[in-house]
Amino acid sequence: MKHDAHTRLVLAGLTVVFVTLGVCFWAQLWARPEPVRPNPLVDPAFLETATWRKSYTDLIRAKADLSDFDCYGCHEKKNPPKLRYDDQHQLVVPEEHSDIVMGHGKHGRNNNCYNCHDEQNLLQLAARDGRALKLEDSVPLCGSCHGPTYRDWEAGVHGRTSGYWDRSKGPSTRQLCVNCHNPHSPKFPGRKPAPAPIPLRPAATAPAVQPKP
Amino acid sequence: MPPLPPHDAPPESGMDRRSFLRTSAVLAGGLFAMASSLKPLMEMEDIPSAERFLQKYYKELTPEEMQKVLARIEREVEQQYGIRPHVRDLKPMDGVEFVYALNLTRCIGCRKCVHACVAENNQSRSPEIQYIRVLRMPHGSLDIEKADHHYAPESVPEKGYFYMPVQCQQCRNPPCVKVCPVHATWQETDGITVIDYDWCIGCRYCEAACPYWARHFNFTKPSVPRERLNPNMAYLGNRPRRQGVMEKCHFCVQRTRAGRYPACLEVCPAGARKFGNILDPNSEVSHILRTKRVFIQLKEELGTSPRFFYYFDV
Amino acid sequence: MTGIRNYLVFLRRSAQIAFVGDWRYYAWMGFLTTIVLLGLNAYAKQLAHGLIVTGMSDEVSWGVYIANFTFLVGVAAAAVMMVIPVYIYDNEELHDLVIFGELLAVAAIVMCLAFVTVDLGRPDRFWHLIPFIGQFNFPASMLSWDVIVLNGYLLLNVWICGYLLYTRYRGRKPSKWFYLPFVFIAIVWAVSIHTVTAFLYVGLGGRPFWNSAIVGPRFLASAFAAGPALIILALQVIRRITAAAPAGEPAMMTAGALASAHRRAATAADLDLLSCHLPEVAALSPEERTGCLAGATVFDVAAGGVLLRQGETDQHAFFVLAGRVVVKREENGRFRVTRSLGPGGQFGEISALNGTPRMASAIAEEPTRVLCLPAEALRVLMGNRELGAIVRSRMTERLMITDHALLTLRGIVQVSMIINVFLLANEVFKEFYSGNLHVASSKYLFLGLDGHHALVPWIWTAVAFNLVGMVLLILPISRSLKWLDVACVLCIVGIWIEKGMGLVIPGFIPTPLGEIVEYTPSLNEALVCFGIWALGLLLYTIFLRMAVPILQGRMSKANEPGARPVAAAAPARG
Repeated sequence: MKHDAHTRLVLAGLTVVFVTLGVCFWAQLWARPEPVRPNPLVDPAFLETATWRKSYTDLIRAKADLSDFDCYGCHEKKNPPKLRYDDQHQLVVPEEHSDIVMGHGKHGRNNNCYNCHDEQNLLQLAARDGRALKLEDSVPLCGSCHGPTYRDWEAGVHGRTSGYWDRSKGPSTRQLCVNCHNPHSPKFPGRKPAPAPIPLRPAATAPAVQPKP
Repeated sequence: MPPLPPHDAPPESGMDRRSFLRTSAVLAGGLFAMASSLKPLMEMEDIPSAERFLQKYYKELTPEEMQKVLARIEREVEQQYGIRPHVRDLKPMDGVEFVYALNLTRCIGCRKCVHACVAENNQSRSPEIQYIRVLRMPHGSLDIEKADHHYAPESVPEKGYFYMPVQCQQCRNPPCVKVCPVHATWQETDGITVIDYDWCIGCRYCEAACPYWARHFNFTKPSVPRERLNPNMAYLGNRPRRQGVMEKCHFCVQRTRAGRYPACLEVCPAGARKFGNILDPNSEVSHILRTKRVFIQLKEELGTSPRFFYYFDV
Repeated sequence: MTGIRNYLVFLRRSAQIAFVGDWRYYAWMGFLTTIVLLGLNAYAKQLAHGLIVTGMSDEVSWGVYIANFTFLVGVAAAAVMMVIPVYIYDNEELHDLVIFGELLAVAAIVMCLAFVTVDLGRPDRFWHLIPFIGQFNFPASMLSWDVIVLNGYLLLNVWICGYLLYTRYRGRKPSKWFYLPFVFIAIVWAVSIHTVTAFLYVGLGGRPFWNSAIVGPRFLASAFAAGPALIILALQVIRRITAAAPAGEPAMMTAGALASAHRRAATAADLDLLSCHLPEVAALSPEERTGCLAGATVFDVAAGGVLLRQGETDQHAFFVLAGRVVVKREENGRFRVTRSLGPGGQFGEISALNGTPRMASAIAEEPTRVLCLPAEALRVLMGNRELGAIVRSRMTERLMITDHALLTLRGIVQVSMIINVFLLANEVFKEFYSGNLHVASSKYLFLGLDGHHALVPWIWTAVAFNLVGMVLLILPISRSLKWLDVACVLCIVGIWIEKGMGLVIPGFIPTPLGEIVEYTPSLNEALVCFGIWALGLLLYTIFLRMAVPILQGRMSKANEPGARPVAAAAPARG
């Protein structure tokens, strides 16, 4: 059938619209996909598996300088150093050992160096039942007071056990107590946490209101 | 009687030449608009080759076909990153069922596990995909709506809070496996729920079904920095994924099926994470499940029967 | 072979007619095509860059695509539920409208499939869903059920509509066995598609907002309100666009034209002429022939001659022997062609049998010869088994969108809205009264949660629209079409919001780990949605463009280009 005037106008208009649309598509005039925001890479320190302390064994293996552990370089044999206390019965740490901060137990429970160190032989440790323990063999000493924890440690449950869960395929290694706990201030230290997760849509992810503990 | 009249004209016919040309002009304009509407497709980076398009389902690949697929993946990764990886198809071991035990007394909320996992499993950094989410919970409550995901204090742990890392619980009764329309995710005999990244169609039904928010989607092409690529890969594990597929924690199959601990456990400074074979009575996890008193399985009432046991020491 | 050739001609003509129309048609189709292209362009961006161009995230991993899908499955299901009054309660007025409903269902299902496809992260892997070729997780995954029921429903409706339209095109009576069983299956299937879609959500134990038995019934109730409401609006649009010029057209002539037509008694030769177009007439027995010819007359009318007038009472029925008659009905000051009849066609038989006033006028479009039968003669003719069946089946083929039909649909929407609002009240009580932890999503939706309240204005708008719509539907004022339309629009928009954003989004907020991340569709996402809606409307318009002329009789086998004209009969004597 023939087209009337209205139809001709509409068809002409549509041709113009389509061609314009095509050009607009080519020029990508709207809704351009934004480039992905590059997130900062995490500090590699957070990927470290090493413990924050080195045990005496680690130092020996690393052939480090062990002069700090030569007690009789300053002290006299057969002359155990006397412990001094202030008027609150807090142990006064001598200046020569000022790097040691005593914090092993509340209310001064472990205010006595000789609770762990052997008075007669400063190069070794002494358990409460009189057993002498080498410095690198400190675990049973800790365990002699911290029984349940020691039992868990023996089962591999306290502290990190790393390596192979399938012992037939390879070895597993446990840490010593002193790898994580400073024996003089054993509380596991706090640290800065790794960064919080970065959401895909930050504008939509406002932090929720948290109740106070 | 007058002669009989001719037929009624068909309604669709009878265009004259001008009308035909006019209509053709509109059609041509329309086709031009349609062709240029498809211009953004030129920016598409991930067009599958015929081989990849037709790749069979994981469980149907013969060992020879799997070797070809692994070799192809190694080539593709080398092309993209310049590093030749080693991609294996590790099968589950007999007599092994993995469980995870997490000591909530020990977790300090440092998030090292989150990032060790990201590094081990070649997860996208931009946008960020993390399999583990550490929740900071107020003392005394397991109400997950009180959790804070974005805590950032100077030092953790903070007084009055405890920290609960959540990742895929490898449920014994997994809702995600039930709902996947194409069997792209399933549970293997060692308890790990795995994903065939080349089979997933990206419908995200599993993400809706998971009660632990453990499944994550690649909304765009994942970006892994070349210098942090882990070349020790597994087909069902940490090989690089593509735009439009799901991924989640798979208990580091490339490590655990070779007998090693997962990356999150290896990095935990507090030793809060414990992993092993529950069918072995001498494993750490068996010891924990025997000796500790209270276990929390998240959302236990949903019947998912997670293989993740949270417990407290003190 | 001829069967296939005939079908191909039918398809070709149907395709051709989609490109032909008046300027309003071109403008409408051009507008829809523009929107479809905008959507296509947006989807191309999504294919290239991934779903990051939408507003979705791991926290809210389904958005407006799935929301629209959910709403449209309901529309598709409801479109076919209209079929129930027609076939089960035998409401003849709705017969042709059933085809419009089923065509709407086809367009809606195509939209559903489109929405699901654009939501996929890897649409290139669609073949993984095909049973036996891919890995089809049936029966465990409700998505696999949905794939089966949606595609099956599409095939059912395409078959039914296609069969009915094609037989109408061929001028044949449709065989009940080829469509009635499918119609009944479609009724049951319609319930199943929406229940299965509801079960997609209900089956997820980890999402307490969805994991509730009331979701399925709410889906059905809201579908049976929104679907027929859409059809009420669509039918009025169809009614308007198939209207001819307003009253007062010069073609209407007075009764004088009829009186002056040459009229004579009918003879056996006239019956033979009729049997050229209605073969069953040849099989009449001699007694039946005599009975038919008793009191029967034949006359010619010039073009424009009025054979029947709407509103008159007259107990004659007519058969067209030659020429063409147009049956027009006046509605609201406009005339609608309800049928166009060539030789062999019948009209006026309902009033002849029932004595009711004429529902339409019949006007000759060109010089025409008709056979006029009094009611008694008609009854004799219908006493013949085959002829009677044909006449009866043709009686039900009407393209009359009467106000009565619209009011029947109103009744469906009315009851469904009442049930829908009642079920909403149930849900609100259950969520808020006991105050347990699982109420977080509902709190977010209705009241806002922890300072996040993006959906609150939407849901309250939806509730208000639904309540006002329901009240309007209950009140007699909605018997007037203007208020009925208002009520329908309110219900459709209210249900779209409630079922789309009010159901899908709050299921994700808060996340299973308690985090609140809100969702706003991106511009790209919105363009894709508009594109798919426009595609659906485009398809539906094309379907109507094909179906209406066939139902009116203006496009049929009889007027295929190149068809031989009807052989001239011997001139009548006298």
